[in-house]
Amino acid sequence: MNSSFEIHHLAKTHWDAGDRPSKYLFSNLNAALLGPERIAVIGASGQGKSTLLRMLALLDAPDEGDLILDGVSFRAMSSRQWRTAVTYVAQQAVMLPGSVEDNLRLTSKLHGTPYNSGLAAKLIEELGLHYLDLSKNAGDCSGGEKQRISLIRSLLLRPQILLLDEITASLDMNSSQLVEALLLKRHREEGTSFLWVTHDLEQARRISSRTWVMSQGSLQDQQSDVLFKEPVAELARKYIRSMEGGDTNEPNGT
Amino acid sequence: MSLTALSFTLLFVIGTMLISIWQKLGLEKDIAIGTVRSAVQLLAVGYVLQFIFHAEHMLFVILIIIFMIGVASWNAAKRGKGLPGLLWRIAVAISASEMLMMGILLGLHIIEATPQYIIPISGMTIGSAMVVSGLFINQFKHEVQQNKGEIETLLSLGATAKQAIQTVRTRAVKFSMIPTIDGMKTVGLVQLPGMMTGMIIAGANPVIAVRYQILIVFSFTSSAAITSILLSVFIYRLFFTAGLQLKVPAINK
Repeated sequence: MNSSFEIHHLAKTHWDAGDRPSKYLFSNLNAALLGPERIAVIGASGQGKSTLLRMLALLDAPDEGDLILDGVSFRAMSSRQWRTAVTYVAQQAVMLPGSVEDNLRLTSKLHGTPYNSGLAAKLIEELGLHYLDLSKNAGDCSGGEKQRISLIRSLLLRPQILLLDEITASLDMNSSQLVEALLLKRHREEGTSFLWVTHDLEQARRISSRTWVMSQGSLQDQQSDVLFKEPVAELARKYIRSMEGGDTNEPNGT
Repeated sequence: MSLTALSFTLLFVIGTMLISIWQKLGLEKDIAIGTVRSAVQLLAVGYVLQFIFHAEHMLFVILIIIFMIGVASWNAAKRGKGLPGLLWRIAVAISASEMLMMGILLGLHIIEATPQYIIPISGMTIGSAMVVSGLFINQFKHEVQQNKGEIETLLSLGATAKQAIQTVRTRAVKFSMIPTIDGMKTVGLVQLPGMMTGMIIAGANPVIAVRYQILIVFSFTSSAAITSILLSVFIYRLFFTAGLQLKVPAINK
């Protein structure tokens, strides 16, 4: 899979009470993935990282700008088709009613495609869920199990680009490392790109080749090996902690 | 019953209003408006029906049914603020269920094709369809608000609008049917339905009255089911934008 993904002049507007655009959460965002990439997305809370991912998955409509996948604008493609290629994994894993297996079979059911039980078994193994009884009610699984099931469910779609919203936040260190290893392996072997929102800068350094820093309503695209030459504590002070509690909610007021 | 006797029943209303004032419930105004409206509406309908029964012209019957469907749809659509285009969808759902009911009742000669039968039975089925529509819309909105995460999870995995909202939709349909089905189970044991009571008081044989009541209960249930299911098919798309983003309407109180 050799895909390209471009973000052009993307903006998210806040709407005031009179339904008029009042200010931008972010605006004129530009970035691109040329081929398989590993991107960490960092920034303080409230900078719009989750909103950006939701927008890239078309769960929120872009207010301005364009998104282009393999040369085709999102406007020229059905949202369904887009989402099977650019797939969002939420921070809060939601299990659909039914068993774990029902959840794993979900995407093949939605798209009328055969269920890849071999791949499912492999992913279950690699994420350390081999002990899990697949006939168990998915709603009864622990938070960490749900998070991993939800990741497997999305991976079974074999998307080109994964949009990962703090997916290891509810995992213990061991499971978290399994997830990182799995995604790096998928990247290496399948060419799957990922955009991974994380507050853990050590994690960002481990998993990414580039880092998008979101602050003050804009995005800086940096080489991770250059960025992470600075000590993580220093970066955190600069990009994450210094923003929190400050006047970060009114970037680029218009 | 003479008009003088009827006017004595106003004592009930006055009593209720006094209780409301005494208990500071603040309902006096609504009770007064409700009293005047129900009296005027029912008396007017009495005269209209008398006129139509004498005229024996199907055009009047059709007009009054259209009027009933219009009022019922408008009333049910009030539940769905934030969902544009709801009114005509409800009207189509209620009309379809009314046509189906009447088609069966008249086609199989279960009732006579006279205004005396068509109008009251239509009024009852349309009224039941209205209640079900209001319940369904309220519940559907509520379920969508409650299950935003589930719907968006399905969307992000490439589901269609219909697939993403399927479980929510069936839950709302079931919920809207509960009062009708409960009513069906307890009818006659807990309360004697209005139509049957009316017929018995007016001197009809209770066994005959019961037969018509059974007819009404069955029509109620199927018109409720048909309306709710049709409506669910007509409106689920209103919860999504053209680009397949979930659009959650604001909760209205």
